[in-house]
Amino acid sequence: MSKPIYELVNELPQKNLTVFVLRSLDRLLPGEWENLVGFENTIRQVTGESDAALVEQIGARAIQLYNDKSEGYQRALWLYQTIDTTGRALGQAALANKMTENVRFLSIVNRLTPKADRAQSIDLSMKLVTEIVAFCKINGIPGDSVGDFVKALGDYGGESLVRMVALVCFDGLVPLGPNFIQQTEAVLGKLTPKDLEKNPAFRAIKEAVPGGKTADQLNFIGASFDSVKGWMGNFVESKGITPQGVVDNIKTVVDVADDKLDYFGAFLDIATNYYEHTGIQTLSRRLIERAVAEI
Amino acid sequence: MLRKVSLAIGGIVLIGLLAVGGCQLTQLQASAPSDSAKWEQVEAQTPAATVDKKAVINGGEFNKFFPTAADGYERVYTQEKNGFAEAKLKQDGATLAMLSVSDTASNPNAALKYQNSDRTLAGYPLLEVGSTTTGLLVADRLQVKVLSRDPDFTPTEREAWLEQFDLAGLATLVK
Repeated sequence: MSKPIYELVNELPQKNLTVFVLRSLDRLLPGEWENLVGFENTIRQVTGESDAALVEQIGARAIQLYNDKSEGYQRALWLYQTIDTTGRALGQAALANKMTENVRFLSIVNRLTPKADRAQSIDLSMKLVTEIVAFCKINGIPGDSVGDFVKALGDYGGESLVRMVALVCFDGLVPLGPNFIQQTEAVLGKLTPKDLEKNPAFRAIKEAVPGGKTADQLNFIGASFDSVKGWMGNFVESKGITPQGVVDNIKTVVDVADDKLDYFGAFLDIATNYYEHTGIQTLSRRLIERAVAEI
Repeated sequence: MLRKVSLAIGGIVLIGLLAVGGCQLTQLQASAPSDSAKWEQVEAQTPAATVDKKAVINGGEFNKFFPTAADGYERVYTQEKNGFAEAKLKQDGATLAMLSVSDTASNPNAALKYQNSDRTLAGYPLLEVGSTTTGLLVADRLQVKVLSRDPDFTPTEREAWLEQFDLAGLATLVK
């Protein structure tokens, strides 16, 4: 086991670049996300209980559930952490790629480095798949019908919603531009199982992606993207979000030059871990909601 | 003066400049509240779950006995785990309460507290737990709870929603 759940929640930063960048989304989601940190604090906020003995009892049950591997919570955390780590590797590769475009003598390296946009499209899809698989690890498949399940997925709020909006903005709009949905669809449409196996993000979480063979997993990835693209498109359109608008919001915390926008998505990949940060918050919230109901 | 200087130094220490790819950013280091020692102790006193999972009723079995929501209420199932199912009760997009059923076979201590109950609802022992929860125990085993998430959702409303579970139906799951 990695760290205990209380340590993970206690160590969540109150202020760092990830938090600042997530806060920059507040204009799109007013009041939706509060950076809830601290295990005891989270128990109090989620349950509304303040009696010390009761809070301790809830925490004890949450710890017990988390420590039981078969419950799936540790697996969900692993997914959130792993996809963020590969994001950082991809960010570094993308930066290297950009450098080589300007530097002739490195053109040979350029041939060896994957095209940034394609890698980014796959990365975006893999993050979506991570979200769906982690959701099921944490919550199971709630309800008795597909409709119930879709409703459960659609009930995203708080840190889960901010994670999805960050995905749309920082892994879609900023690095790929306003046509990121069509572009990703085109990439996925042409992708072969062999291509997919070369992708670091896929390789990192392959064992957790549903489907036996890589071809089946590729289908699952396509279906996952297909099921969420409508929501993503509507969100971008209804809020009138543009890549420039996203960057303008972040400019208050990060000094970025307009002619370096290409680097910005890669930069966010390297410098933030918003999937892990909000993933720990989602996981602990659901764990605590279950613990208080079970004690 | 000394205080001002130490504040200034503190500020400088907190602000680190990180330059990557021509970008600059300010990063404030984490200042996490540290009550980990206390929870480490709690963890040490909490035994690992030693339950026969196969004997625990799967959460999916409970779903059909949840209250149906009408009259402007909405029920959204949120969790379905081994021995546990939970749904949100919503109205106009806001969460009023959580509705849950759990099999105490996975956490036997939970059933014990109902021995102290001096009230019943539909014939089952009833208890208020903390300031936000009302629970009852069906067939000495299945714990049904309504947990307020809106401070205006009263204990009386919690009991009314407890009654809307198909409690007799749930009892048939216990053999």
